[in-house]
Amino acid sequence: MTSATRSAARPVKPRPSLLVPLGIVVFLLLTAASLSKQLGIGLDAAGLIDDLGRGRPILEQLASPNWSYLPETIGPMIETFQMAVIASIIGCGVALPVSFMASRVTTSGRVGLFVTRWVLNVVRAIPDVLYAMIFVAAVGIGPLPGIMALILFNIGVVAKLLSETVDGVDPGPIEAGRASGANSFQTVRWGVLPQVLPHYVAYSLYTFELNIRASTVLGIVGAGGIGRTLFAQYKLFHWSNVSVAIVELFVLVVAIEAISIWLRRRLV
Amino acid sequence: MTAAATVAGGTPRPARPSQLRRNVALLAVAAIVAWAALTIDVDLSKLLRLVGGLARIFYRMFLEHGPDLTYVQTSLSAMVQSIEIAWVGTIIGAIFSLPVGFFAAKNVSSGAISNGIRVALDAVRAFPEIILAVVIFIPIAGLGPEAGALAIGIHSIGTLGKLTAEVIEGIDPGPVEAVRAAGGTGLQVQRWGVLPQVLPEIVAFWLYRFEINIRASAILGVVGAGGIGFILQQTIAYGRFPKAGTALIVVVVATILVDTASGWVRRRIIEGSQGAQLEALAPTTAADIAA
Amino acid sequence: MIRFENASVTYRGGVHALRNLTLEIPDGEMLVIVGLSGAGKSTLIRAINGLVPITDGDVTVDGQSVRHATPRQLRQLRSKIGMIFQTFNLVNRTSVLNNVLMGRLHTTGTLRSLAGMYKAQDIEIAMQALERVDIVEKAYVRASNLSGGQQQRVGIARALAQQPKIILADEPVASLDPPTSHVVMRDLQRINRELGITTIVNLHFLDLAKVYAQRIVGLRAGELVFDGDAGHADENVFRDIYGRSLTADDVLEAKAASIA
Repeated sequence: MTSATRSAARPVKPRPSLLVPLGIVVFLLLTAASLSKQLGIGLDAAGLIDDLGRGRPILEQLASPNWSYLPETIGPMIETFQMAVIASIIGCGVALPVSFMASRVTTSGRVGLFVTRWVLNVVRAIPDVLYAMIFVAAVGIGPLPGIMALILFNIGVVAKLLSETVDGVDPGPIEAGRASGANSFQTVRWGVLPQVLPHYVAYSLYTFELNIRASTVLGIVGAGGIGRTLFAQYKLFHWSNVSVAIVELFVLVVAIEAISIWLRRRLV
Repeated sequence: MTAAATVAGGTPRPARPSQLRRNVALLAVAAIVAWAALTIDVDLSKLLRLVGGLARIFYRMFLEHGPDLTYVQTSLSAMVQSIEIAWVGTIIGAIFSLPVGFFAAKNVSSGAISNGIRVALDAVRAFPEIILAVVIFIPIAGLGPEAGALAIGIHSIGTLGKLTAEVIEGIDPGPVEAVRAAGGTGLQVQRWGVLPQVLPEIVAFWLYRFEINIRASAILGVVGAGGIGFILQQTIAYGRFPKAGTALIVVVVATILVDTASGWVRRRIIEGSQGAQLEALAPTTAADIAA
Repeated sequence: MIRFENASVTYRGGVHALRNLTLEIPDGEMLVIVGLSGAGKSTLIRAINGLVPITDGDVTVDGQSVRHATPRQLRQLRSKIGMIFQTFNLVNRTSVLNNVLMGRLHTTGTLRSLAGMYKAQDIEIAMQALERVDIVEKAYVRASNLSGGQQQRVGIARALAQQPKIILADEPVASLDPPTSHVVMRDLQRINRELGITTIVNLHFLDLAKVYAQRIVGLRAGELVFDGDAGHADENVFRDIYGRSLTADDVLEAKAASIA
């Protein structure tokens, strides 16, 4: 075997894709447009610093919460929690079969798949507050419209996330299930579900946390929970009361996060 | 072992392991759900009214005279403003969350600093954008889109900061070691050892955050922070359903378009960083297996 | 009795995986199929339980046509055929017992199976299957915590739990080291002899084929090129099947030597 005396010719540097510079140009254009006064929102950094002075008295009031207001907030906080729990159970429960219908691994009918995915896209495209507004218009204010809004929001979030997880499962157990004569439901239950269960629990707990935060927002439109209290006080400019509600919300969110970590470890 | 010996004198069957912990957790969850469902102040008869009410609204929005087409212009420009608010907010979030994320990562900065920053991020994340807008930015910047963009921006720093920190904590230490061994400074280690590994995933997070922020900014108009939220509230609360129908369609179509575009870019970025690996992992479809 | 009658399988890209195959496999036989990768071994095996559709001709199992079976008939057919895979195809996150119980799904009502409430009788059958492959002490262990050889034995137990008439094994030992490969092949041979289950195995390693098969079938480019006693399969025969001289890759003991 003769040794090579001439090394291979050096390769030509591949031409860089146009996509990245193009992307950057588009990005800069969009940003400039968004910031400008005519087309966009007119973000003015200097003006903001002036404004800070204006906001001072309010911020000072916010920094000293009116604790005597606390008892009145307990009821709404509990309602927020209840809304989040009920919406999570129903929403995540429905999302499980829907996510199987939206994944090409578990659904073989192309029409069904297409329809499910697009219905999901539309459901996800509507913000939860918009749902709440519509439901409030349909049944009046209270926690019920909030729960319904959260359910739809949950289904959108969890079904999409879970269907993407299902798309990526190991197909081996599915083949084994089919080969043993099991029907589709059984194959999905025993071949797919065990693979995605930890993800499902994580997504559900995540959605629950989102629900807690969201229910404050839904309160603006009258859909129950601590949000209603918060906005009522806001409209009356009772900033010290507002800050009590905010502190409570923060405590609740942190507590929920801790509980959900505990649950995640136990359930899976 | 011969055939005869297996069944009769073989290994004893193991006992079923205790599932106590799991069952306790499940029971606790079930109890909470039952409590919530039973004690909530909801009139179930309203549920029936809900279906009727929804049908009526749907009818008046889309079927009675069709959605109000004269309203498209107004809705569109409001939606564009919402998108711009989300865009600026996401950029603010992205720019600041990158360094913050680095400092919040346990494997980059010391425990005390990273813990402190993590707590701060959690605090910011706990509040939905609309609360931040209402409570901080509208008082400061007044009503209008600036407050909205800032609220979204600050909240995004919280979420993106935490996600960035988690991605950074999950890296392969190999390349980092390599740069250090080659004599790189602290900044160089971050730039060449850490950043190339995490950038695709982080950019994907930024895009996903943008999709979420679109929804948040659509809402912000409800409290006067600019965008289509104001229109939605005015039309729905005052029963102007044909106009509401138009606005609703605009929101849904615009959101889906942004989602699709953003999703496409996200997938290209992730695929670019993983390349052939993804092809090999592509699962078979149900159709292939079901036959 | 499994019967291939001029069976052909052509994939969507135009690949002729199986060409005009005619073959009869009587009950209780231990048959090994050999051939290069891509020769059609996997396709042949999957044609028997319909995992791969037959495009021409037919395959019948005990008189039931596989090609023309309704979904219901196909499921019934598959319940009588147990399958073992090269990559084991176990559900990693769940226990060995739950994996084996998948073999009982075909007799369990849908609602019951969704809730996981198997009948006591089915659990007994699963346990006995585990005992037969000598791994019952791992019944509640998570499948991913087992070694490759142990996982394959669980795969065999899962197939056995179906109480099948036929067992198909698609390269069952390709992912295993030589000693473990022998253990698994011996288990299959024992099951074939003791329970009279028709056993069809795809093998890559020729020495294993010679040792464990009663009958060997050789495939080349989708066609049947050899069909005879294991005793009559010598190096020349294998060279015909493979279309080239044998290399170390084709022999298990060479692998063993290289690892040692």
